Amino acid sequence: MQLNANIPGGPLAQKWDRHRFELKLVNPANKRKFNIIVVGTGLAGGSAAASLAELGYNVKSFCIQDTPRRAHSIAAQGGINAAKNYQNEGDSIWRLFYDTVKGGDFRAREANVYRLAQISNEIIDQCVAQGVPFARDYGGLLANRSFGGAQVSRTFYARGQTGQQLLLGAYSALMRQVAQGRVTMFPRREMLDIVVIDGQARGIIVRNLITGETERHAADAVVMCTGGYGNVFFLSTNAMASNVTAAYRAHKKGALFANPCFTQIHPTCIPVHGTYQSKLTLMSESLRNDGRVWVPLKPGDDRRPGDIPEDERDYYLENKYPSFGNLVPRDVASRNSKEQCDKSKGVGETHLAVYLDFKDAIQRDGRDVIEKKYGNLFQMYEKITAENPYETPMMIYPAVHYTMGGLWVDYNLMSSVPGLFVLGEANFSDHGANRLGASALMQGLADGYFVIPYTIGGYLAGTPLKPVNTDHYEFKDADTAVNEMTRKLLDINGSRTVDDFHRELGMIMWDYCGMARNNDGLAKARGMIQKLREKFWRDVTIPGQGVDFNQSLERAGRVADFLEFAELMILDALERQESCGGHFNEGFQTDENEALRDDDNFCHVSAWEHRGAGEEPVMHKEPLVFENVKLTQRSYK
Amino acid sequence: MTKTINLTLKIWRQSGPGSKGRLETYIANTISTDMSFLEMLDVVNEQLTLDGKEPIAFDYDCREGICGQCGCVVNGRPHGPENGTTLCQLHMRHFSDGDTIFVEPFRARAFKIVKDLVIDRSPLDKIIQAGGYISASTGGCQDANAILIPQDTAEKAMDAAACIGCGACVAACPNASAMLFVSAKVSHLVLLPQGRPEAAQRVVSMLKTMDELCFGNCSNERECEAECPKEISIINIARMNREYIKAGIASTVQ
Amino acid sequence: MQWIFDFFGSSVGKKLMMALTGLCFIGFLTGHLIGNLTLYGGRDAFNAYAEHLHALGPVITLVEWGLLTLAAIHVFTGMLLFLQNLKARPVRYAINKSGGGRTISSALMPYTGFAILLFLIYHLLQFHFVDKTFTTIYDIVSLAFANVLNISFYIIAMVVVALHIRHGFWSLFQTLGANHPKYMPMVMGGSLVFSLIFGIGFGFLPVYISFSG
Repeated sequence: MQLNANIPGGPLAQKWDRHRFELKLVNPANKRKFNIIVVGTGLAGGSAAASLAELGYNVKSFCIQDTPRRAHSIAAQGGINAAKNYQNEGDSIWRLFYDTVKGGDFRAREANVYRLAQISNEIIDQCVAQGVPFARDYGGLLANRSFGGAQVSRTFYARGQTGQQLLLGAYSALMRQVAQGRVTMFPRREMLDIVVIDGQARGIIVRNLITGETERHAADAVVMCTGGYGNVFFLSTNAMASNVTAAYRAHKKGALFANPCFTQIHPTCIPVHGTYQSKLTLMSESLRNDGRVWVPLKPGDDRRPGDIPEDERDYYLENKYPSFGNLVPRDVASRNSKEQCDKSKGVGETHLAVYLDFKDAIQRDGRDVIEKKYGNLFQMYEKITAENPYETPMMIYPAVHYTMGGLWVDYNLMSSVPGLFVLGEANFSDHGANRLGASALMQGLADGYFVIPYTIGGYLAGTPLKPVNTDHYEFKDADTAVNEMTRKLLDINGSRTVDDFHRELGMIMWDYCGMARNNDGLAKARGMIQKLREKFWRDVTIPGQGVDFNQSLERAGRVADFLEFAELMILDALERQESCGGHFNEGFQTDENEALRDDDNFCHVSAWEHRGAGEEPVMHKEPLVFENVKLTQRSYK
Repeated sequence: MTKTINLTLKIWRQSGPGSKGRLETYIANTISTDMSFLEMLDVVNEQLTLDGKEPIAFDYDCREGICGQCGCVVNGRPHGPENGTTLCQLHMRHFSDGDTIFVEPFRARAFKIVKDLVIDRSPLDKIIQAGGYISASTGGCQDANAILIPQDTAEKAMDAAACIGCGACVAACPNASAMLFVSAKVSHLVLLPQGRPEAAQRVVSMLKTMDELCFGNCSNERECEAECPKEISIINIARMNREYIKAGIASTVQ
Repeated sequence: MQWIFDFFGSSVGKKLMMALTGLCFIGFLTGHLIGNLTLYGGRDAFNAYAEHLHALGPVITLVEWGLLTLAAIHVFTGMLLFLQNLKARPVRYAINKSGGGRTISSALMPYTGFAILLFLIYHLLQFHFVDKTFTTIYDIVSLAFANVLNISFYIIAMVVVALHIRHGFWSLFQTLGANHPKYMPMVMGGSLVFSLIFGIGFGFLPVYISFSG
């Protein structure tokens, strides 16, 4: 299979303009003749469904929650980047582009990232027009703050609830289209398969989570915005319903999966505190603007933080990276926390935590300033841990947060299955091997508001599409297969719960495919996963029935897919014999323990093809060509 | 330090919207006080599953207090006894050993029960569809800094916009009114200059829809703001009333 | 004119009617209380005040009909709201607990309202629709308050009125949209002050009369 990213020619800065000009257009009167399915209602899905409906397409929008306003984009705290240069610090589209490519450790496509930086400014305009209450200065102008991996303040924010506010903006636009009859909303539906007819994506099979019945939906194109797969680790900052099922089942139907081993471990999360724990809570990276990260200088120092004098503290990020200090990119910060804990300098009950201290910031700016900036985050921390971060330093530890890998897409955001578009975290395209803070929101909205409306038009106008309906045998087969799987799961009647298996899988992934990996561990993990999968299909127990509201069954299907997908992650990690960004193979590091890339052999996207059950997947390479930036060893010193 | 407690739970079980529900008793032993309320229910469900019984259906998603999907009435209070807290952020350290805890779904005529503690909150979406938006189609917007918005105003708008749509205000209101929810959206949008052009139509349509969906009427009992996990103030209800009066008397909006 | 019905027909519209009529009653009660203070001046003062009122002739009739209309609106709308609110939660909670918003007076609004209606009927029958040909209003009043039962009944009624005003007063400002962080504390204070003034002002009269008579 030859992968064609369809990157337009011409100078980098003109590619997107040129491409938009070259894309075929659908006549406004003809748009209403096209049906488009959008799966997911996060920033990417919500904005895509609303924008496509505004253009006149017939849109069906699906979400797994009870209302489209709850997608997990809502939990993004810190902010959204844009190259507005409102602060007069020398920011520009080029700088945002460069920071993002560099932050991603040079494993993203230049053209996609440049387009993202170009669009970033329009997103802010759009969101303000929709009524997103971004923070403002006293004069009424928009405020900015700085984020990891950048030396300019380009992050727009709405307290610690930026994701929520942006999502509510997209949601309100979507609701407006629902009211106008342009979008039909299908909440509490889980996509369980795509339907491919004559090589084109022509519909989906969903399970109605209330009745338990499957439904078939046909369309001219399918847009998947189903988020990331971080929950393969069981414990992550993702929402409980976040899963890989939609993406993985599309993968099984022919969509290539790119760079699955690129996962982001976020440095500032509340540490794990018990086996019953169901999820991890992120504390916004923005905290690193004012908080100082430290551990005791002496290993095994169990004194209370207040009792450790200044000269016995190791502000290891500031010492090691004088120019970026506490604001190094996420992968670097996370790895350094792990390194300190590995040296027995970890703090707290489990010794798997480091301090994030606001004492100096409170002394410098006053408590009320800090409270205004981070009040809700501090409150959240106190609620969970019962400790007051104004008085004792916060304890933080890295946790799985975001997945840069995803379904492979070309410049048009179309997967290797024609007619199947993939947006937001579900695709792989813009963040390379590591995502910078405040860039996920930017990408989701860029894809949904400003990319898909044009590129999908190009596809629909330029592709012959035969009329299909849901009686087609491909629909019947897919539907039958989905119900067959449900029946199989319910029939197992074993002795272990779904969560029990999920937790075990998560431990394997965290230990062997987490912040640091090595070849032996990965090989071992692969065997463990295969065994666990086999056990799952023999010994899981799922109460209740298929045609009912059955949350155990929902989770079982997702875990079944995670158990297969985890192996693909391991394979990908094993194949990539280098370290880059979030993928840190201990065998490949610089003298200073930084990720050591191998640009000669691994400057490519690894896109995996599913070859059927029991078959080894096949890897296809999309070479990454850098014409505009020079590949360097990332340094944040 | 972690400590464990034993609890008796009285949980509402109902197999479907039409069927009759009842409170059933469950014993939850050695519950760590560091658990969240939902994690406690997870533990109960794991045991029920292993005992071959049907687990308790309850809604949840983000488990960090922002998505608005979780929520039950715990001992008579939506999202439990802590103020400004969603159920997923309510920790068991707020309960004592030997406590009996009643867990019921959010109750209102407008919210049908789907199963056990899971309810249908789609009426809240319908209210938003009636006008809870600014009609700014994608593209063609002016520069974000073109209109200055005083910081104080932006902050007030943000206070209102913080609503997570969980429905606790409806559950808490003695009259099952959705006034706090509606007013939060009306306030958020009307405070911003971008939202002013549609202000009159918005408030009239949203309120009309709220009435049609059989929510109750506001009688200023203030239970909504007391229970709101985002501590949204009833000052927003006053603002909405003001907007309604303005729209009714001074505009030509129907 | 349809707009008027639409405007007052919505849930907020109905609340506005409650608020506006309630505001009028507060005005009326103020006047009523000031007038009744003449009772402290003794028989002549009070009778003179009554004479004065009656001398207004058609104006007083107009006011009476006006008050009756307002009362009808207040009672009818209140009942409608009460029934709608009951219907909005067909299945009640097994455990009810306040989050701290409700007060006794706010929770009892419909019931204190109904009790006031009953009291009002009794009050009007006792002092208004009564043959005053061979007596004066002061005599009727002092005769009525010679009875301990009557005194107790009136005092209890005034407690009920005070409770109703305690919530009704600030509530009407809220409903009319007058809630501002700067002034709301004063309105809340006003709520308490007015309920006390009306409660004590009216409630003490029977006691005073029975002792002075």
